[in-house]
Amino acid sequence: MASARRIKPIEGNPFDPGEPVQFQFEGRPLEGYDNEPLAVALLAAGVGLFGRSTKFRRPRGPVCLHGHCSGCLMRVNGVPNVRTCQTPCRSGMVVERQIGWPSAGLDLFRAVDLFSGKRLDHHAMFTESSWLNRLAGGVVRRLSGLGEPPSADPKKPVPVSRFQADVVVIGAGVAGLAAGRALGECGHNVVLLEAEDHRGGRLLDGATLGGWEQVGTLKTELESVSGIEFHVGTPALAVYPGDPLEVVAGNEGKTFWISARRLVMCTGAYEQLPLFENNDLPGIFGPRAMDRLVCGHAVVPGEPVVVMGDRDETLGLASRLAELEVKLAGVVTARRDAKALELLRHKNVEIFDERRIVRAHGGKWLDRVEFAPPDSPQSDLVLDCRTCVAEAPEAPAYELAHHAGCRVSFSSQGGYTVVVNDECQTSNRSIFAAGHVAGAASAAEAEREGQRAGLACALSLKDDQKIRERLKSL
Amino acid sequence: MSRTIVCRCEDVTIEDLKQAFAEGYRDLESLKRYTGFATGFCQGKCCTAHAARFLSALKGGDDTVADPIRTRPLLHPTPVSRFARAVELLEDE
Repeated sequence: MASARRIKPIEGNPFDPGEPVQFQFEGRPLEGYDNEPLAVALLAAGVGLFGRSTKFRRPRGPVCLHGHCSGCLMRVNGVPNVRTCQTPCRSGMVVERQIGWPSAGLDLFRAVDLFSGKRLDHHAMFTESSWLNRLAGGVVRRLSGLGEPPSADPKKPVPVSRFQADVVVIGAGVAGLAAGRALGECGHNVVLLEAEDHRGGRLLDGATLGGWEQVGTLKTELESVSGIEFHVGTPALAVYPGDPLEVVAGNEGKTFWISARRLVMCTGAYEQLPLFENNDLPGIFGPRAMDRLVCGHAVVPGEPVVVMGDRDETLGLASRLAELEVKLAGVVTARRDAKALELLRHKNVEIFDERRIVRAHGGKWLDRVEFAPPDSPQSDLVLDCRTCVAEAPEAPAYELAHHAGCRVSFSSQGGYTVVVNDECQTSNRSIFAAGHVAGAASAAEAEREGQRAGLACALSLKDDQKIRERLKSL
Repeated sequence: MSRTIVCRCEDVTIEDLKQAFAEGYRDLESLKRYTGFATGFCQGKCCTAHAARFLSALKGGDDTVADPIRTRPLLHPTPVSRFARAVELLEDE
């Protein structure tokens, strides 16, 4: 079980928790806040095990906290597979874990993991005879799957709104906001779609580096520009190339079918965890998820915390944790020069040389992490911890652009990125891309590229000497 | 059992990828179809880059070999109610 605690919310916090509420978790009343995500309320209430994996029945818990992964799925009000990190904690909600027999806490099928050896090859299992194969197939079908069918009444179909726009910008992170602002200033009518309930993207996860202030500034600037229509909590679901481009998006209340002349892809990147033994144990988070939890929602999932990584954001988060008096078991980094390290030393946090994680240990929640020097398989450092923040290269969200026919390229460091020219134009000339999806390495670069994409896109719709000059001066 | 999980939705391990590669599945699409990574709830958001990196490393660091897997909409978990009776419910603009 997690040893979570709530801390005093940080000033300037854009996440308003709302009023205290009570909800039901497997027959127990738990407390949370009206506006905070259910996953956060559960963690804060000491629930660490959110469910089980389908094959090995390994413990699962929230990982990304941005609605991308499957770690926080639960049955909510009779509906299976609800992403609890994207669902506000409302009064009276009935929440249950969905995989595990007799329960997720004590799942007898965990034996599959414990006794199946290094690999469980389902391609070759029970193939000795067709009779055995049919029997095993029937049993496995009963055991597998993601939860039980819903018991709640089916949702009512939502209305579909079909309209036209000059430009659709997908993603209201730093690049998308900058692109939207530039397009609006050039007089185009823009629809900005954002999957999450908040605008700002990674800026919201960069409390330490001034992200929250920057979101505020961008928002104010955007409000002064007319012709921009915002839809938050409205992910773009599909893009069909053509003239016009067809974009399908939707939220709780409405489905949108938008015909657009141009598209700007600012879909950002998914945070990833590094690969090491037992990297799936609950209690291991990426820096953005941890920033959202602690700085955004004021919940520390477990202490002490170990932070491993080299990026400014990661070390900034470590120093912010120290400032907030969160207990740190150590920071492992190759960096020597970062400003954040001074503060960590001042706070007597132990700093270890560059290492990689080789193994995590724990039952249903993390207990300790083993590290090894970069070129050695032998671990030389073990840190007891109840939360591990581990950095890995992010994976750009290239899928929508790829589906629309834009060329993507792969690099081991950067994953798949959308290929763009000097003016942020993709191989489909009506589609532009900017920010982390097109390979930007920092929020500052993403903002600059977003602006470039916005101006270039505006120019492609209508030639204008002033815009041409602005673009040149970037 | 200690496992290095590449795909958390479908419990695909690094050992599964190694075995599949040894059996001759040496492009990303075949690796995906054989091991099942990227076919779970997250549809590859958390594992595709890892698998591509694994493939590129086994092919001697050749990044050009890792063509992406086929992308299909919908790219986000979506209730059927968003599309049910969509034609009937199309609003006039």
